[in-house]
Parts: sequence; C-alpha cells; structure tokens
Amino acid sequence: MRAATMIKKIGVWIVVLAVWEGAYRTGVLSPMLFSAPSLVLKAAWTDGPAFVAALETTAFEIVVAIVLAWSVGVAFGTAAGAIPILARISTPLLAAMIAVPFIIVYPVLTAWFGIGPESKIVFGTLLGVFPIALNTMIGVQAIEPGYVIMARSMGASKLQAMSQVMVPLALPSVITGLRLGTSLIVIGVILTEMLASTSGLGFLITYHRAMFDTGHVVLGILLGLSTSYVANALLSWIEQRYGRWRSLQQDMA
Amino acid sequence: MNQAVRTDILTVRGVSKIFGADRGSVAALSDVNFSVRRQQFVTIVGPSGCGKSTLMQILGGLASASCGEVLLNGEKIAAPRPDHIAAVFQEPWLLPWKSAQENVEFPLSLKGVAVAERRARAAAQLELVGLAHAATRLPHELSGGMRQRVAIARALVQEPDLLLMDEPFAALDEQTRTKMGNELLRIWEHSRRTIVFITHGLTEAIYLADVILVMAARPGRIVERIEVPLPRPRSIDMIGSEVFGQLRNRIWQLIGDSP
Amino acid sequence: MTRSGLQRVFVLGAQLLVVAVLLGLWQAAAPLGWVDPDTLPPFSAVLDTLWQMLHDRSFLQDIEITGVEVLVAFIVMVPTGLLIGFVIGENRPLYRTLRGPLDLLMAMPKALFLPLFIFVFGIGFAEKVLFSLTLGIFVVILAGIAAVHSIPQGLINAARSMGATKAQIYTRIYLPGMIPLLLNSVRVGLIFTIFGVLVAEMYVSTHGLGRMIFDAGEAYHLRDMLAGVLLIAVISIALSEMLRRFERLIRTRRASFS
Repeated sequence: MRAATMIKKIGVWIVVLAVWEGAYRTGVLSPMLFSAPSLVLKAAWTDGPAFVAALETTAFEIVVAIVLAWSVGVAFGTAAGAIPILARISTPLLAAMIAVPFIIVYPVLTAWFGIGPESKIVFGTLLGVFPIALNTMIGVQAIEPGYVIMARSMGASKLQAMSQVMVPLALPSVITGLRLGTSLIVIGVILTEMLASTSGLGFLITYHRAMFDTGHVVLGILLGLSTSYVANALLSWIEQRYGRWRSLQQDMA
Repeated sequence: MNQAVRTDILTVRGVSKIFGADRGSVAALSDVNFSVRRQQFVTIVGPSGCGKSTLMQILGGLASASCGEVLLNGEKIAAPRPDHIAAVFQEPWLLPWKSAQENVEFPLSLKGVAVAERRARAAAQLELVGLAHAATRLPHELSGGMRQRVAIARALVQEPDLLLMDEPFAALDEQTRTKMGNELLRIWEHSRRTIVFITHGLTEAIYLADVILVMAARPGRIVERIEVPLPRPRSIDMIGSEVFGQLRNRIWQLIGDSP
Repeated sequence: MTRSGLQRVFVLGAQLLVVAVLLGLWQAAAPLGWVDPDTLPPFSAVLDTLWQMLHDRSFLQDIEITGVEVLVAFIVMVPTGLLIGFVIGENRPLYRTLRGPLDLLMAMPKALFLPLFIFVFGIGFAEKVLFSLTLGIFVVILAGIAAVHSIPQGLINAARSMGATKAQIYTRIYLPGMIPLLLNSVRVGLIFTIFGVLVAEMYVSTHGLGRMIFDAGEAYHLRDMLAGVLLIAVISIALSEMLRRFERLIRTRRASFS
C-alpha cells in the first residue's frame, strides 16, 4: 500500500513539474517571474560548487548557533524550572522576548559584528535561546514532586533521581522547545544572509535575485527549504524516540 | 515482655514533628508511640490534618522527626531503606514511558540487580497482583486500580520487611476501592509482610486491620489503639455486623472529639 | 497582605529590577568607557532620538506605511483564511485531498519565498502585503478547518433544518463555536504578518520602518536604529500582551456560560 501512495505522490510532482516547464516553454509564464525546472537545473549545473560552498557556510553558522542556543537555553531553563520563584519571574520576560520580531535586531548586530558569519551566529543564537529556555523551564516546572519522592523511597540517589526520573519527565517539553528554536535558527540564519552578508546560501539567493537569475534563486530557495526540512526531520526523529510518551500521557492526568 | 519486643518489627518512640520556629510553630505530630508486630496489618485512621502523612514520611525515612526515634528491627530509621521499607502512595507515580513490567523492575534496576533476575522477580510480583497479562502495557493503558496494583507490585518487589501505604485507594471510586481492599488482604495473606496502612475511611480502617491506631489532630497524636476482634479471612458481610458497627462508633467518637 | 499577594509583589518587583538593571547597564555602558558611544549610545540618548523622530514627518510616514501594510494584510488575511478554512473543513473529500499540501505549506518556512514575490510583484505595497499575508494565512486556514471539525454535525443539521443559510451557519455557528482557538491562531497570524512586513521592508523597499532601521544600520546611525528597534519591540510586546489578555477574557466569559 505504501508503495502505491508513494508512486501517486511522485506522479503528482512529476505532473506539476511538467506543467511548470510547459508553461515556461510556451511562454505562458514569463521566465523572469516564475523561472522553470530546466533553468533551475541549469543553475545547478553551472554553479553547483558555489552553492555547495555557500551551503557549507550556512550550515556552519546554523550548527554553531544551535550548539549555543541549545546549551544556554537548556541550562537556564533547567535552573529556572527547578527554582519556582525564578520561573515565575522569568516566564513573562521570556515570553516578551519571543513576542518581538527579532529580525529588526539584526541591523544592530551587523553594526556591532559586521556582516560576516559572526553576526549570523549571534542572531541565530538569540533567536533560538528564548523559546528553548521557556519550554525547558515549563518542562522542568511541570515535574510532579510525587515522582521524585517515589524514587527516593526506593533508594534512588540524587543522580539517579535526576537522570532516570526528572530528565525523562521534562524531555518532551524540552524537545518541543528545541524544535521550535531550531527551525527559527535555520530560517533566521538564511534570512539574515539574504539581508546583509558576504557569503552563505542567503547571500547567493540575494545576489542572483539582483541579477534576475531566476533559476539560481529558485535553486537557492530549494536548498534552503531542504536544510529546514532536514533539521525538522532530525528533531522529529528525536521527538519520536524520546518524547513520544507525552501525548500518550494526556489521559493520565 | 522480651518475647513481645523480639516480634516487634517497628517501634515508634516519642516521635514529634514541629514545623516552623518559635511563635509560628505547628506541632504536626506530638509524642507518637506505638509498635507493630511482625506480619501484622495495622491501619492508622484519623481526620485530615492529624499528621498521618507526615508520620508516614517519617516512618519511611523520607522526612526526619523533630525528636523521638523510629526503630525497624532495632535499627534507627533516618533515611529511606529500600531493602526493608517500601512505600505505596496515593498516586501510583508510575513512570509513564515504562511498561508495567519495567515499572515494577525499577527499584531493582536502581540497585543494579542483573537483568534476568529483576525481570523474573518483577514478573512474579505482577503475577501476585494479578496483572501478569498486562505486563507490557504502558500506564496510560491501565485503569486507576490496575495502576495502583502495579505500584503495589513495585513495592513488593523490594521484598520489604515493612510496607507503608498512604491512602493508596483514596483516588479510586468506591467499588474499585472495595475490590482493591480485598485484593490487598489476599496479597498480604500470601506474602505475609507487615503492613502499615493509612486511611481516613473508617470502614476501610476496620475491615483491613488487625490493629487500628486512631489519631486526632492539633496536635497530631494517637488517641487509642484498638484490636480488631473480627476473624480472618474477612468478608464483606462483616461490615454490617454489630461488632463492626460498635467499632465504627467508637472510632467516630474518638475522631469527633478532637478539636 | 496575603502570602500569595506578597509573592506577586515580589515577583513583579524582581521583574522590574531585571529590566531596570539591563536599562541601567545600557545607560552606563558608554559613559563608563565600556563601549564607544557611537556603538551603544546610552538609553537616554536613544529615547531622546525616538522622541525627536516621533516629530519627524518622514519617520511618521514610515510608521504609517508599515502600519497600513500590516493592517491591510491582516484585514484581508483573517476573513479570507477563515472562509477558506470553513469551506475546506466542510467538504470531507476536499479536506482529504488538500490536507497533505496544507500541512506541508504550513510547515514550510515560507519567508524564503520573498525573492520570488519580488520577482512577481515588484517592491511596492502590494508585494509586501501579499508576502506577509501568505506567511500568516495558513495558520488561520488550519484554525478555520479545526473550527468546523469541532462542531457536532447534529448541530449543523438542526440549523439547516431551521432554514439557516450558509452565511448564517458560518457566522452564527462556526465562528462563535471556536472563538478561543480562532483568537489564538489570529494572534499567531498577526505575529507572522508583522514579521513578514518588516522583513520585506528590510530586504528591498523604499519606505517603512524596516527599511528605515536597515538603512540606519548601514549608515551606522546607532541612535536612530535603536530608537526604531525600541519602538517596534514595545509595540509588539504590548500588542501580544493585549491579545493574550483578550483571549483569556473571552475564555473565562465563555466558561461562565457553559
């Protein structure tokens, strides 16, 4: 059955691409505006290496921002979640930071850090750290003390209680935060590269946009979408593996 | 005298618990004294606020007494003793991502017991509580009563000398509660462990127990120790008997008298 | 005062303290020699600049342009999105076909399509409105679908048998039935809209707050830039909070009816 649906899906895509290409060939759609599959392929053929190099830069920025945002976010969120008064103080402050459209902060960062990878990494980190911290905090806060008391009564050491009871209990919320933060980081990095940069995928997209190389622009966008897709898929996998029980638990409350 | 002392598994001497300091202090427990004989089923009954749960925490080594001591087999209890004391709480607190089997294995895995051994021991306890068929199910797939039975199995797998139960059936509906009570008696008679069972239900307190300790509030203290003259095994129709009714009234008076 | 009342005051005090400390550091950074006054002008200087800017014609024009773009995008997005959502939600086969593509589009980072919007629509008002609309509309569509799916069929049948027209069903049954969920999705949609407008302005534009901030950045006019950032930050936090309170209000009112 799954093979049949897959084939159907692929078939739909082939039809879409064919119609698109056909519209381009027959002049129905101006290539200036909408590009075409063949143009995209041509762009990949002629400038493939440039795109790969750009992708490397972008990936590097994304990974560094992820490492920083994850570590700071989870650390702060755990500490704040464990100390109720700290949690109450932090929650509205974190929520307020998340409400701000952070992209407007980027020009300030370029003034301070230039338009190289540093500003992207700082931006990405800032973008990701707040939702991660907030969700981690919520996850840790929500741990009911009864679980820990139960574990203690069975002779669990502090370390055992933390690693075998508290961490798994908080994990689904943490992963939700990581998911949110990571997708924001991926998009944030690419967008800021589009706005002001000397390298990276976003830079190439903007460069070719200015040159009206529609094929290149679409290729760049597709690569950006793929990066986002890969990051999301990775986190979905993590969620499946470690955070699945949360949805099952709803009726236990 | 010596004979009685040697069969006392639990001795509580002069235990008090005071919260807060100086003017703002509250005596949750005041000079609690009692002992429990081996293999006895003791219930502790009292109104809310009489310090039953605090007492349970102290007995289990989860909290310390302000003064006095708790002796288990002659040894002082100041911290959890998982090899000797196991606890069942009002909520089962089963780890949601572990199956029933894995939950019962949990105390053993904390100790580092080998996989094969803990699997066998856990399976045996699940069998005892009648849940062998549900071993692979996750907690959310079990009813409230089943979850609590898993919690009981988990406590029993520790092979404790003393089983502490703090209102374990309070969250269940009445029918399930009665069933669980009978189940517990069956398990107790089979495993012959000493049980200290806390409840605020008079019927439950009488039905299950060999000895009832009646507590009063403010300050929390034991006001009477009642031996239950009903024969074993217990049956539901005993609840309507005259003896039962007298016991109920007696306890009701004692509880009602407290301020 | 009660214990919890006391705690609330303490929490509020701590939050104000955090903000005050941060602003204090901001204020003192330049005078203390930690940073160049051109790199991080003191908070008071930025406030000063903001005040002046608010009297400056072209800045007010920028605010107006951005505001209008957001407003138009929002006003078009919400009813259109809800309508589409209701229509799809009602039609089971249609829903089944479109469900996959919709989820895909929803999850896709659509902001990346900005250059394409520029190719097709240029760099004017229309492009910015359409772009930001596209970012936000899927949330609203999905909310509309969820709204429809949550109303029991029996209720709809009863209404229809009483002669209710489609329009009446939409406005009298679907809409009120799911107001809390719809409000939340509308709030998220608004966040996307504001974000979209600002990004589009920053990218390629002649006017607007986003443009102004970006240009100030390129010219290293930190004061103007920070003034703009401050303004937008305060407005977005205020809006978000207002909408959140409104949501809560509606929810409690409805709870008292049920």
